[in-house]
Amino acid sequence: MIPAEAVITRVRRDLTISAVLKATIIGAAIVVFVMRGALGSAHLLVLSVLGFAWIVLSYRSAIGSRLAVDSQSLIAAGRYEAAEEQIEQVLGTFSLFRTAKLLGIHQLAVLRHAQRRWPDAAVLCRALLGRKLGPIKGVNKQCRLMLADATLEMGDVRGAHEALAGLYQQRLSLAEAINLLAVQADYQARSENWSELAAGIETKVQLAELMPAAVSARTQALLALAARKTGRNDWASFLTRRAELLADVQELCARRPMLWELWSVQGPKVEGTEAS
Amino acid sequence: MTRARVLRYADNPAAASYNPPPVEPDALTPPQFLDVPHLLEASQPRPRAGWFWYGLGFFLLIVMVSAYMSAQSQLLGMVAELLSAALMLVVIVAMGVMTWLTVKRQQAEGQQVVAVEELMQLRRWGDAGVILDGMLSEPTRTPQHRVQALIYLSAVLARYHRFADSIAVQEHLLDHVNLDPGTVHGLRLGRAMSMLREDHLVDADRAMAELRRADPERQSAGLALLEIYRDVKTGHPQEAVEIFEQRWPLLRDQLGHRAGDAYYLAAKAYDTLGRDAEAARAYERATLLSPLAELQRRYPEAASLSDKYQPAVSPVAQ
Repeated sequence: MIPAEAVITRVRRDLTISAVLKATIIGAAIVVFVMRGALGSAHLLVLSVLGFAWIVLSYRSAIGSRLAVDSQSLIAAGRYEAAEEQIEQVLGTFSLFRTAKLLGIHQLAVLRHAQRRWPDAAVLCRALLGRKLGPIKGVNKQCRLMLADATLEMGDVRGAHEALAGLYQQRLSLAEAINLLAVQADYQARSENWSELAAGIETKVQLAELMPAAVSARTQALLALAARKTGRNDWASFLTRRAELLADVQELCARRPMLWELWSVQGPKVEGTEAS
Repeated sequence: MTRARVLRYADNPAAASYNPPPVEPDALTPPQFLDVPHLLEASQPRPRAGWFWYGLGFFLLIVMVSAYMSAQSQLLGMVAELLSAALMLVVIVAMGVMTWLTVKRQQAEGQQVVAVEELMQLRRWGDAGVILDGMLSEPTRTPQHRVQALIYLSAVLARYHRFADSIAVQEHLLDHVNLDPGTVHGLRLGRAMSMLREDHLVDADRAMAELRRADPERQSAGLALLEIYRDVKTGHPQEAVEIFEQRWPLLRDQLGHRAGDAYYLAAKAYDTLGRDAEAARAYERATLLSPLAELQRRYPEAASLSDKYQPAVSPVAQ
């Protein structure tokens, strides 16, 4: 298991070293070019060596980036140990460019989030968001969503609000909008903002239908609770029944105890756990 | 265009004496929307142009010319050195611009693939089909984008009930592309479902056996759904009900809202067995999870259920 804090320290050190090395190679190339008259034909040899070093280091960086991207499919397939090994390799090898290292941290955050190791995921996301992401700025949104989710799971509603706030001005893809809805519903339910949660319920339900079963059940149950609190009983009963079909009610309420309220009138009915 | 011209000649008696040039029969047929053989052929990425040897030849030419000029006089030598430096600068800038353009084009193609995925999720099948038709009508920039687009194309074709075409795309991918096991499983599931819809029951049965053999450890809700559908279709409702009841947690956890499909097929099986109360309950749950029109479109064999049972009441319709 790679400790999050140690990874951040190591990456910070590696980024400094790579920046210094990069500046040294470029600086040396400029100096040699300017002094080519004094160096004679030797300047060509020195330039070639510098160019070769640059190409080799760039190649190693490209391999690192590739490994980091590949670990994504391992995480999606639930092969966490293989993903961990691959990410460790990315973070352990030297890279001339920042991208490989930052992608490595991002993938480690995704892995910790999938493993439900919330404090580690939050630390890694914060470390990543505190840096200039440059060519991989696209991971910023996913990072914010993971951070909001992790902080909510840790009971830090304020932290979740701060993470989500940065997303409202950004253009989101459908997948990101779906993830945002899941996290936002959780956040609004925890902060008991029922009217906001119930607003535009029809669109929210359509998006929730596209989520994986467990997240969809949780989101629709939270929307059902919001509908009940705001007096929209038709939606409340419709969505409660859907949640029963999509997940195990006991498990759902164990993770979000506030949801017991939906089943409190008739007691915890576990209809959804049986086929018929 | 050609067809319109021919019709105008036929309608106009003054033009009857005019003998139009013979038209090839193929030219009269308008191009089919999502023409699978054409798209499979046209979407093959272009082989990379072999610029290396041209570049090397050009470089040698420059070296020889500058050496010749330097040998002629000192002034010409200075001019050659200046020109070489300028040319090197042009080459570096041109390479940068070309790389930038290539990356931009690849990114644009990637965005098209993402757009297709989103349109399919939103059930805007027509729009997704139009983008796929345009994208696959010319060589794709990367093989990965082609494969992803073809996977989506097979889904769009199945949505339009063009199952034979969908099978053709899936078989092309399974035979010619090295895919990861998860994608292969998904493609095989889609192919078996299309075979069932085409009433190729023997082929479908073989495809399902192949799926079981390929990964016996895999707990696949998709395969369970296929088996239920096959048993409903072939008049084995008891077996369909048994699979549904045994594998319900798997169906629920993996399929999400598509578990409504399993409820719908189970309703048909219960109905065939005369277990009306259970059929009514399964039908109501199916329509709680999925729109009735969508279920009827996917499984026309069970369409008669709507005459007998009540769907779930949705607040959207109220």
